[in-house]
Order: sequence, then C-alpha cells, then structure tokens
Amino acid sequence: MATIANDFTINIATANGTGSQSANLILLQSMFEMGIPVSGKNMFPSNISGLPTWYIVRLSDHGYQAPGDRTHIQVLVNPATWDEDLASLESGSVVIWNSDAKKEMNRDDIISYPVPMSSLARKINPKIAKLVTNIVYVGILAEMLGIDQDALVSALSKQFKGKEKAIELNITALNLGRDYFKDNLSKDDPYVVEAREQTTAKFFIDGNEATALGCHFGGVQMLAWYPITPSSGIAEAIIEYIPQIRTNDEGEATCAVIQAEDELAAAGMVIGAGWAGGRGMTATSGPGISLMQEFIGLAYFAEVPSVFWDVNRVGPSTGLPTRTQQSDISMLYEGSHGDTQHIVLIPGTVEECFEFGWRALDYSERFQTPVFGLSDLDLGMNRWDCAGFTYPEQDMDRGKVVRDREVFEAFEDFGRYLDVDGDGIPYRTLPGSGMDPILYRGTGHNTKGVYSEKPHDYVTLMTRLKDKINGARELLPAPILREEIECEVGVIYLGSMENTIQEIDDILEETGMKVSQCRVRALPMSSQVEDFIRRHETTIVLEINRDGQLWGILRKELPNDLVTKVHSVAYSDGQPPRARIYSDLIKAKLEEVEQ
Amino acid sequence: MSEKPARPAKAIKLNVINEPKDSYTGGPSSLCPGCGHDQISKVIVAAAWENGIEPHRIAKMSGIGCSSKTPAYYLGQSHGFNTVHGRMPSVTTGAYAVNKDLLYLGVSGDGDSASIGIGQLIHAIRRNVDMVYILENNGVYGLTKGQYSATADIGSKKKKGVVNETQPIDLCALAINLGCSFVARSFSGSKKQLNSLLKAAMSHRGFAFIDVISPCVTFNNNDESLKSYGYVKDNNVTLHVADYIPNRAPMEEIEVPEGHYRDITLHDGSVIRLETISEDHDPTNAVAGLSALHAADADAKHVTGLLYYDGNKPALIDDLGLVDSALIDVDDSTLRPSRETLDKLNAAFLS
Repeated sequence: MATIANDFTINIATANGTGSQSANLILLQSMFEMGIPVSGKNMFPSNISGLPTWYIVRLSDHGYQAPGDRTHIQVLVNPATWDEDLASLESGSVVIWNSDAKKEMNRDDIISYPVPMSSLARKINPKIAKLVTNIVYVGILAEMLGIDQDALVSALSKQFKGKEKAIELNITALNLGRDYFKDNLSKDDPYVVEAREQTTAKFFIDGNEATALGCHFGGVQMLAWYPITPSSGIAEAIIEYIPQIRTNDEGEATCAVIQAEDELAAAGMVIGAGWAGGRGMTATSGPGISLMQEFIGLAYFAEVPSVFWDVNRVGPSTGLPTRTQQSDISMLYEGSHGDTQHIVLIPGTVEECFEFGWRALDYSERFQTPVFGLSDLDLGMNRWDCAGFTYPEQDMDRGKVVRDREVFEAFEDFGRYLDVDGDGIPYRTLPGSGMDPILYRGTGHNTKGVYSEKPHDYVTLMTRLKDKINGARELLPAPILREEIECEVGVIYLGSMENTIQEIDDILEETGMKVSQCRVRALPMSSQVEDFIRRHETTIVLEINRDGQLWGILRKELPNDLVTKVHSVAYSDGQPPRARIYSDLIKAKLEEVEQ
Repeated sequence: MSEKPARPAKAIKLNVINEPKDSYTGGPSSLCPGCGHDQISKVIVAAAWENGIEPHRIAKMSGIGCSSKTPAYYLGQSHGFNTVHGRMPSVTTGAYAVNKDLLYLGVSGDGDSASIGIGQLIHAIRRNVDMVYILENNGVYGLTKGQYSATADIGSKKKKGVVNETQPIDLCALAINLGCSFVARSFSGSKKQLNSLLKAAMSHRGFAFIDVISPCVTFNNNDESLKSYGYVKDNNVTLHVADYIPNRAPMEEIEVPEGHYRDITLHDGSVIRLETISEDHDPTNAVAGLSALHAADADAKHVTGLLYYDGNKPALIDDLGLVDSALIDVDDSTLRPSRETLDKLNAAFLS
C-alpha cells in the first residue's frame, strides 16, 4: 500500500475533565518536535467535566493550519458522541476505538483498530484509569504512525514540567499502548509521519500568552479584569509572568492586578489608570465589551488612554462561549452610543499578538483614546508555531503629556482639548502635577474642558475627534499584501483567517483564477486597502461571521465607484475556518457576481 | 502719571502650607439656590484648607447627578473626573492603583450609590480603596426631576406622586456590615460636625464613607409644598409650577449636642429629627454602630456622628505587592523588561 505521509487529520473524541487535553498536547508537541508542520484545535464545551470534547490534529507539509475537510483517523473514547462521530466518517477512514466502552462498531467500510483502553489503563493504576486512558491512545497512535519515542518523551517532560512520577507513569502507559498495537493489531492503513528538517527554530504558544507577554513589554501598569472565556488566558498569563519579568530585587511589582466585580468596573479601572497617567488594560470577550460600552464612550469623548483586548467568541448573547468567530468588529469600531470611532488592532499570528500587545498601549497614549485588540478564540486559545518574539524597536510612546512646568508655561493659552499641532491630538497634564487642573467629563466641553452645550463647541470637538482617529490610518499596522501580477480576484480578510487563507487560495487557484490577498491588521483602515480594491477586478471580503461586518465598514468608507467592486463572503458555524467551505462560498459569490 | 499708593493689604488668612482659602474654592454653583449640596461643597473647601492639603494633590471624583456636578464648585486647582452614573468607585480604584499619592475625594448621590452603582460602592469598600466617599443623600433623583431613590424613607412624600412605601437602603449599615474602615452620618446643615468628620476622613487611610443627609429643596416636598405654590403665586411668577425653582436661603447652622436630638424644619416645611450619637458610643464596635442606626430608625430619627472606625485595616495598595513609589513615577526603562529578558524567554520557549 502506498503510504500517506504528513497529510492527514486526526480527530480525538473524548469528554472534558478527563485529562485528554494534556495527552493531546503531548501528541501535538511530539510531532512538532519531529519537525512536522502540525496544528491542533481544541473543540471544548462550556463545562467543567463530562461533556464532549474533540481535539483535531492536522498534519500538512503545505503548512496548512486549518482543520482539514475530513477526518482521516478518528479516535473514539467518548460513548456520548460515538454514533455521530462514527457516522460522519468517510469510507476508508481509520478508527481507533475503546473496545471497553460498551459501544458497537457498526461500520465495515473503515479500518478498525479496537483497543481495550480502559482495561489497559486500569492495569497501570485503577484509581486514575480515566487519566491514563488518554496516554494509551497516544501510544497506539505513536506506534501506528511511527512517532519518534524521543520526541514523545521530550513532549511529556515539557507537559509535566519535571514532575518525575507523572513522567514515569505516562511513559509506562505510552509503551503499553505501543506494545498493544505491536502485539495485537496489524497496520492496515496508509498513514505515517515523517520527520522534517525545520529551517528555523520554532516553538508552540497560544495567542493569549503571546498577547500577555506583549502587554508586559509595553510596560502595562494596571490590569483590571473579570474572568470570561476565551480571554482569561491573557489575564492569567500577565499575572503568571509578573514575578519573573515585572518585579525589582525585593520582589515588588510594577504592574498592579485587580480582579474586578464585573466588566463595567474593569473598564472603569482601566480608564481611571489612564486618566491618572498610567497604562491600564483589560482583557475580555464580546459579552464583556457589551457591558463596557458606556465607559468606552466616556474614554473616547474625554480622551482617556485605555486598552481593551477582546478575544472574540461566538455571539450574540452568551452564544457559543467556547467557539470562535470574528463578530465583534463593528461593535469595537463604533462602540458606545453617539458618533464614535475606535482604533482596533487585529493580530493574525502569535508574533503579532505580542507586537500588538505593546503597540496597543503606545497607540492609546499617542492618540489619547481607547484602543482595542481583537483576537479570537482560535488564535487566543490554540497553540501556534512561533519563530520567537521581537523586541520593540522604539521606546515607549507616552504621547503628548506635559510633565514639566516650563513646557506648560510656554503654551500661549493652554487648553486640554485644544488642537495645537493640527493633528487633532491635544496635550494633557496629569492629576497631581498642579498644571491645568480640569474636571474631566463625559458631558460636552469646550477646548478648555469646561462644560458647554454651545453648537460651535460641540461641532469643533466632534470634528477634531474624527480627524484625530482618521489621522491614525497610516500610522497603524499596515495591511499585509500578497499580490498576483494579474490582479484578478483580491481577497480581503483579517485575524485568525490568516491560518486558513493559503489553503483557500490554493484551492481557488486550482481552477485557474489568480488570487491576491490583503490582510487588514487595523481599523481605521489604511488607504492601501482602497488601493488594493482599485487595482483588482473583483474583491471578496472574507470573514468568520454572518453579516460581513468588515465589508460593511468598507462600504461605508469607500468612494462610491469602488463600493460595487467589493463583495462579502461571510460564514460562521463556530468551528475554526475550514478552507473548503470558504473557497466554495467564494466560488459561488464570484459566479453570482459575473452573472 | 504717578502711581496710586498701594492700598494696605488686607490680612489674608493662610493655612499651614501658606495657602489662602481661595486656593480651595471652585466655580459658581448651578444647583438650585439653597441646595444642601452647596453647603457640603463649602465644608469640603474649608476642610481641605484647614487640613493644609496641597490642592493639586487632591483628585475630585464623581459619578452622575446633582451631587456629581459639584466638583466643579470646589477645589478649582485640583484635577477631577466626572465619570459615568454610579461608576466613580471603579475609576477611582484604577487611578489609585497607579497613583497612590493623591487624596481621592469622591462625591456621589443616592442614585449613584444606592442604585446603579451600589455594586461598585460595595466592592470599593471591600477592597478598602484609600479614598473619602461623600454620599450627598436626599432621597430623590434631582436631575430627572424628583423620582424616589432607594434611600427614600417609608412614608415620606415628595412634591408629586404617592407616598414611598418601599424599604430604604441604609448605606451606613451596609458599610459597617462590609467592614468599611470609617463610617459616619451627618447633615448638610451641621457644618461644624461635617467639617470635623470630613477632616478626619481625609486623614484616614482606607475607605472613609460619610453619608450626608442633604435635603433637596426642589423636589422632595410633601404636602407642605403647597406653601411654595403660594410663594409662586404671591410672587406673580407665571412659570409652570413644576418648572419653578424657589430661591431659598441655605439651611441655618444646626448643632445638636452629643447624645441629644433636635427637630429640624426643612425648606418645604417637613421635619427631620436629627440625633447626635452619644459620647459613650464606641466607634470601634461595629455592633454598637449598627445598634445606634437601628435604634434611631425605630424612633424615626437620623443618628449622626462617627458610627464605626477601624484604623488598622490594610488599604488596597498594601495588597497589590507593588514597588514603594507610585507606579506613574516608575521610569519607562523599568516598566519595559529588558532586551535580555526577552532573549531569555525566547530561548526558554525553544528549549
């Protein structure tokens, strides 16, 4: 039989709270250490224990990181989803199944590997049999696919961080699985792993941890947060790294952490810190941003630096709390009542999560306005390969703060909200400085910060705020363009779609069309996006949501003659984007457009 | 032309840091004439001046409502933040976390504190944020024209509408139960008592809560308010009654000796019975504080004075594990970890 190396998808069906996540990460890490381009997606429930969880491992020498179109190897441990998982498999798929699970194997068109996982695990330690079961299937997979034992042991050691007893127990379980496969089953499937030479040294890290580190390298001084999936990882990682990288010799920290009573309070604390001259931030998800809306408007109108990371999950309402989506774009861009417009940074890789982590704090002080980081569950909670983080090339930008009385006196007529430089960004003084003491307010105010309902004062203020944010367009992270000379079809996309775009592009180009890519990395958008649209015959705006929110923003901001050139392809079912679904939708949209 | 000889300077009274009282005043008030809040503002000016606090070291914090507008009327040399409804405590908490060296002076109303922002008040007390929190308590929503607030007493009746039958929330009792380290009640007309309490609160390290009964001259009228109708008629004002704000003189200075009570007739003719807590009261005894509140409530009195005090409770900043200086005074080069730190992290990830 011809073998299929490094080009297949494994789906592992377990229940959460059984320790399967550790086993799955060990499997993923071991293949990563063999140099195989591999990605893992954790499809977990909003629950602590006992509900269905799937872990999807994609191996792809093309470097495709999205889950594939189909499952090639299914591991069945959870009886609850057994029938459905089994029924969904294509003929010829491999099934490794727990023969102790009291479930039927009713497919004869698949390659079947029955393994008494529970009884094998009980042999090692009956008390923790459930936990050990997971390592048994990793052992089976290791033997079946040819995963290197050294890589597995190394991955195990990383996972259990020097806990010798745990490592030893897991190696025993691993070998038990390997031996069972060798002694009782014969390999009837074509799937194998092959070690690859990695050209650059890389490691695995999730987007939330990368964001947290980026915030630390932005010198964040106060984190206020309220726990919410899938963003808690940012706050937890910020807290975890403080002793290591944010303390002096006495162990005293330069970053305060307050767990707030709700998201409103978290937002209030961030704004309080910004008003006082510090770098404050919070991390939340869509429901939290909904609660913060009033404060966001205050920070915009009173011009208070404040950073909000939104790790997008599926909405509306509580939605699917443990599934991914790009549906908070409009809410962030025009957050709060009244006319507003906000800066939104949208990383697509873990390296960018780090970079935008510190940049968000800079932009917020530079533009004296709320700045949002928009990540999502897929990017934030799954592990991605990373070539290492880059140290900020410039000093921290603390913006236009008058800290010196001499500088203050040199102003002819100081006004907190006076546009001195013509860029819409006024100068500010800090509480405690004794300079320009004003009462910040969310009510209408003149250039001195004094309450005003005068039409002229209101229009002056609102126009300047618009100019200020517009002035950020070319200073924010520019879009990433990958263009074909032909300029036929352009695809504009954002965020974690980065991990699926190349596969979509390759599928589309199989039909002979030439596809260019433009990844938007910030709002308000750079003029380069408009130029990209102008250059291309047709442009698709590709998003993981229902309504085409980025497309909506473009339609509002593009000149009239370009509006008809942009078409929306928006789809979301909660799963990380699969290339085939989106490429089919793009093809259908292009056909529709041509007609 | 020869210069006029300078008039002999009138001796200006200075405080311990050589500042005149003028350094502590603010803009003109736009509240209704005679509003109890304006008297509290005056006490704030006096207390800050007498305590000799540098005006720029004070941060004036407020939410939304009549009371929350007052920071514009005092301490004109201090920065301030008129935030959103009921959320002043969180903004103050964030500011305090990065700059612990300011005196945070929060002013709030009963709409802010007993309804929309009660959660934030509770959690600021729970954390023991180092701040003074003045509740200007009048039992009604003034800016929206007179709806009952959650501190309105049972049986009380405002100018328009029915008698309030809903149980009020006693925020002093709540604060004592939450372990608030400084809890007092006062009356906007008792300037002397309020002044002492406020100066003590400003010196206190931790959350100092002062509930100041501050009558609304315009909306919290009962039957007696017919008098104001008559006043309007007599003065030949043709405005709609509901739009008319009578020009009233501020409340006279009220002093109640310790352990005694006195009936005070408010502008609208209603009577409030004020009792000053007795000399024997032990403010370190939370149960005694609660008993005093309940006893007064049973007699339809409002007990004033320092109800509870705990000078040993760590403030929030003590729990945050921070460097000695305020975080805003830490250099950028210290805030951002070094290049070597990142190199080490990258190397550790790769190993």
